[in-house]
Amino acid sequence: MEALGFNMSAGFLEGVVRGYKGALLTQANYHNLTQYFRLQLSSTDYGNFLANEPLPLSTATIADKATEKLVAEFSYIRTNAVEPLATFMDYITYAYMIDNVILLTLGTLHERDTHELLERCHPLGVFDTMPALCVATNVEELYHSVLVETPLAPYFRDCLSAQDLDDLNIEIIRNSLYKSYLEDFHSFCQTLPAPTSEIMTRILAFEADRRTLNITINSFGTELSKDQRARLFPTIGRLYPEGNNALARADDVDSVIAAVDHIAEYKSFFDKAGVSSGAGANGAEEASSSLEDEFFKHDVELNKQSFLQQFQYAVFYSFVKLKEQEVRNLTWIAECIAQDAKDRVNDYISVF
Amino acid sequence: MSGTGPREAVFPTRMNLTLTKTRLKGAQTGHSLLAKKRDALTTRFRTILRKVDEAKRLMGRVLQLASFSLAEVTYTAGDIGYQVQESVRKASYTVQARQENVSGVVLPAFDGVRSKDASDFNLTGLSRGGQQIQKCRDTYVKAVGTLVELASLQTAFTILDEVIRATNRRVNAIEHVVIPRLDNTIKYINSELDEMDREEFFRLKKVQGKKKRDAEKADESRQGQNEEYRAQGGEVHRDEGIRGGDAGGADMLDQGKDDDVIF
Repeated sequence: MEALGFNMSAGFLEGVVRGYKGALLTQANYHNLTQYFRLQLSSTDYGNFLANEPLPLSTATIADKATEKLVAEFSYIRTNAVEPLATFMDYITYAYMIDNVILLTLGTLHERDTHELLERCHPLGVFDTMPALCVATNVEELYHSVLVETPLAPYFRDCLSAQDLDDLNIEIIRNSLYKSYLEDFHSFCQTLPAPTSEIMTRILAFEADRRTLNITINSFGTELSKDQRARLFPTIGRLYPEGNNALARADDVDSVIAAVDHIAEYKSFFDKAGVSSGAGANGAEEASSSLEDEFFKHDVELNKQSFLQQFQYAVFYSFVKLKEQEVRNLTWIAECIAQDAKDRVNDYISVF
Repeated sequence: MSGTGPREAVFPTRMNLTLTKTRLKGAQTGHSLLAKKRDALTTRFRTILRKVDEAKRLMGRVLQLASFSLAEVTYTAGDIGYQVQESVRKASYTVQARQENVSGVVLPAFDGVRSKDASDFNLTGLSRGGQQIQKCRDTYVKAVGTLVELASLQTAFTILDEVIRATNRRVNAIEHVVIPRLDNTIKYINSELDEMDREEFFRLKKVQGKKKRDAEKADESRQGQNEEYRAQGGEVHRDEGIRGGDAGGADMLDQGKDDDVIF
């Protein structure tokens, strides 16, 4: 029944997004790119976006330019969006906002000039009142201005006090915020009509699980206590609750594998990544990069699937994620070419 | 003539000759010692040169690996540069200098020390790419280690180079300047002494000749006086002295053996 009214408000934008999606680089494009980077790029949707850049091109420039393009496309859709799509798209930007606010907090904590940091912020997470945060000279002020000025206020209010900003490790703060954000986004998606909520639940569940697993694996051998760790796990996803509980108690990679045993996909990641029970800690370190790759692959897969259904908002989210992956791929290929590492150049994750 | 080369401004005396000979001997010992030192240093220098070459090649490879692992981090975790910079509180990798002695040359040697509590940013990338960041960090620590080693070798290389140059200069100076000069001085003194000997000999001859001539003259004039005196009717006596006369001129010491002297 949703399909009836969908095109009234969002039909045009869905069309635009699908058009953008069609312009994503394909396997053949990537293959050619690995051979002749710049030449091939100009024949894709990226056109002559590098035309005015002075030589020599750095990979950072390429990444910047590609991100710029993503932001341009995103903001075009955002300006044309009406409720509830507008709110949905705002939610997408919150993730980047968290990163930006954390960056500014970091600057304030170390008493740096935060105005310089504005340039380093992710453009998708820029909000109008962000420069106002730079006025804050101490953490207390920053905390209050975050509460007043940003849409992130509920997340901050829920999980942090002004003291926490001072005391806690910045990474813990970031992950607590992200946890609240994921949960909030998830509950917002539940209010949306059927196809959107189903697909977004799937994607967000995976995102949450991925974070849970990563936090668990990465916190081995650090000063992060198990209690703290458990508090960072999002309370959504397929691992919640009993998987999360098991992970909270996990001491090594083996127990992580045991915890995800009942979910076939995740188990296969570990199998593919080659983190076998006998490999021990060293094996885990060796293989974790490919575990990360497996996560990326699955992420891309899920986002691709969301395009299979019409009349829902998940395409917008998926488009941003896929585009982001594409920017990463471009950077990777450029980096490989710049560093003359031709054997690793094919390790990107092709989108289409 | 010897002594045409440069020589020291000394008086050609026997004492100076002895002195200069001692100095020549010292210079020769010094020369051979310095030459040995030079050879030792050169051997060391060659070893270091080879090590520098190896270290530089290794550095190229390691740094390439390191910057590639950074690329991996950027791929998975995004730009973490600022975060890492800010969360560092104290250096986790420090360099300690110690001294090494090679044939009397003090070479500084550097050791990289990785402090134990270097976990300042191990929560970075907690949710994404944490493992890559740790790996990248380890790779970079290794790269820095290589750099430190290279720095130590490079410093030793420069210092040794300078010292070898100085030693070479000294060896050459002794060989080509000091020793020839001392040689020349010795030859000069010798020739001067010879010259003085000859002069002295000639002078003595001259004096002897003069004395002889004077004696003859005196004898002649005395004969003349005697003649004159005799012609006036005087009598000329020889001075007999003690035991003069006929017995005069006998050897006072050779009067036969005394009976009471046993030997």
